[in-house]
Amino acid sequence: MSERVYGFNGVSPSLGKKGRRRYAMVVDLRRCTGCNACTSSCKTSYDVPLGDWRIWTMEAETGEYPNTKRQVLPRLCNQCDQPSCIRNCPTKATFRHPDGFVLQRYNRCIGCRTCMVACPYNARHLLTPHRRDKRNPRDVADKCDFCIVRVTRGLAPLCVTSCTGGAMVFGDRNDPDSEISKLIRNNKTFTLRPEMGNEPQVHYIGLDGPIADPEFAFHQRAEQVHRRENTFKRDNELGGELGGDIIDTEMDFWGLMRHIGRNFKTFFSAAPNKFFRGPY
Amino acid sequence: MGGQILANAYHHEYWGFPIALYFWLVGGSAGSFVISSLGWVFGVKKYKPVAFFASNFATGLLMIVPILLIIDLGKPWRFFHLLMIPSFSHWSAPMVWGAWFILTYPVGMMIYSYFVYQKNQKMARIFGLLAVVLAICTHWYTGVVMQLNPSRIPNHDSAAPILFLTGAYVSGIGLLVFCMWLRNKFAKREIVPESLLIDMSRLMLYGIVFDMFLLFNDFLQATYGTGEDHTMLYDVLLGVFRWPYLYLELVWGLIMPLIILVIPKFSRNIYWVVLASFMCATGVYGMRIWWVMGTTYYQGHF
Repeated sequence: MSERVYGFNGVSPSLGKKGRRRYAMVVDLRRCTGCNACTSSCKTSYDVPLGDWRIWTMEAETGEYPNTKRQVLPRLCNQCDQPSCIRNCPTKATFRHPDGFVLQRYNRCIGCRTCMVACPYNARHLLTPHRRDKRNPRDVADKCDFCIVRVTRGLAPLCVTSCTGGAMVFGDRNDPDSEISKLIRNNKTFTLRPEMGNEPQVHYIGLDGPIADPEFAFHQRAEQVHRRENTFKRDNELGGELGGDIIDTEMDFWGLMRHIGRNFKTFFSAAPNKFFRGPY
Repeated sequence: MGGQILANAYHHEYWGFPIALYFWLVGGSAGSFVISSLGWVFGVKKYKPVAFFASNFATGLLMIVPILLIIDLGKPWRFFHLLMIPSFSHWSAPMVWGAWFILTYPVGMMIYSYFVYQKNQKMARIFGLLAVVLAICTHWYTGVVMQLNPSRIPNHDSAAPILFLTGAYVSGIGLLVFCMWLRNKFAKREIVPESLLIDMSRLMLYGIVFDMFLLFNDFLQATYGTGEDHTMLYDVLLGVFRWPYLYLELVWGLIMPLIILVIPKFSRNIYWVVLASFMCATGVYGMRIWWVMGTTYYQGHF
């Protein structure tokens, strides 16, 4: 059977190819404490704007009292072998590195957000203008890049380095002696949403609860999570550049009108800033 | 299994109402142009008087589109990246096809309008045919943009482009009838005979019936679908999206105009016909809202 390649951009998947590397990650959920060290190290190092994440943790409490269990799931870009973001990107801003990284070229990206709509993992975000260093890219798509600048210098990604429980393991899957290859060989591993056909390369050990189910994530939000999300949407100043966030408790007729009005207002009020602060 | 999510990242909705408006405008333009082409391209002579106005109207609607699309980009000055072949444009992305369609479609329409104005039947027919194909493609691709996202389950449906095209046909005719009636009112004479507007509403009626048939099939698929389909079904009928989808699209945009247009007493009265056309034209915007924002809203919680 011929090799499946998504889109006409970049190289074919390197998994199992002689002479090539395939970097991947294993997250051992039995060791993860949910300390969020990965989240904070990533967020500070890459100047990730407020409300966006390259890596984040989901937390859930499952089961019935007294048999309850706290589950933590660190989430990041899955650096898929067949990424739908690459296929849908109209400007080749997203591409695959020969070693398996899925990367973003900021100078090509037009900020159309198609890749974000295509990603089944919500792993992408738009860099807002609200960044600490104004010289950093803004209004373009961004995502976790497995810290390629560190990996090419022989260092592990920041989240792996900072993981307090030693739950995150990073390495080359094509090297049979690497720690990650051994872990995948000797343990039962899972990926998120395998049915999407993206062949994700972040593997989880001990993923046995409903936390990885999008339906569960939607229907079983705790009340305070729901409220916090809506408050964030209501108060955020980014509506014009990020589309129409929907506050679901306000979607009656007048609420819909308010949503439309607010979205268009921010849409047009953000326009001069986008046009006149320079082309690049 | 019971339980609850205690912490998660919050994900924005990436496309909003302006993109829904863009889909609506492109649809309106495509629908109007189909009517315009009936006389000069497909030989239905009674539609010849509306061809010039309808073609220009379609061009006018399409002129608003680039404004919305370019402002919506994070980097508006880089819109030309979509058109740079072969270095930047990525052919597997439907957005690139669309960029070329949006660029060529109004040019085709303008040339067609010129030959209609010159009453050059042969050339109008050639360019009209070309522009009709481009009109259909332009709106077809918007459906494809939504369709080719496997994780957005209700959108990942091969009927999506047909639904988009049917919505375009219906809203385009609705808009055209409404605007031509307004034009008659302002001119204080019958530039376009009212009987022709009523005839056009019959064409709209066929579109409404077909649209409802497609929606019924979608409904069936959702009821026999996965849990995500059921969630969507709940959302559009009783939940967050009931206003845009159930009330605006289904009741206001399809069922009420259908009732008006099947009752002979109303369907022969120009005021009722214009009302039905207005309802149809505005109702389709509800469908665009749901298609653009529905699944993004839902999946933003994962």
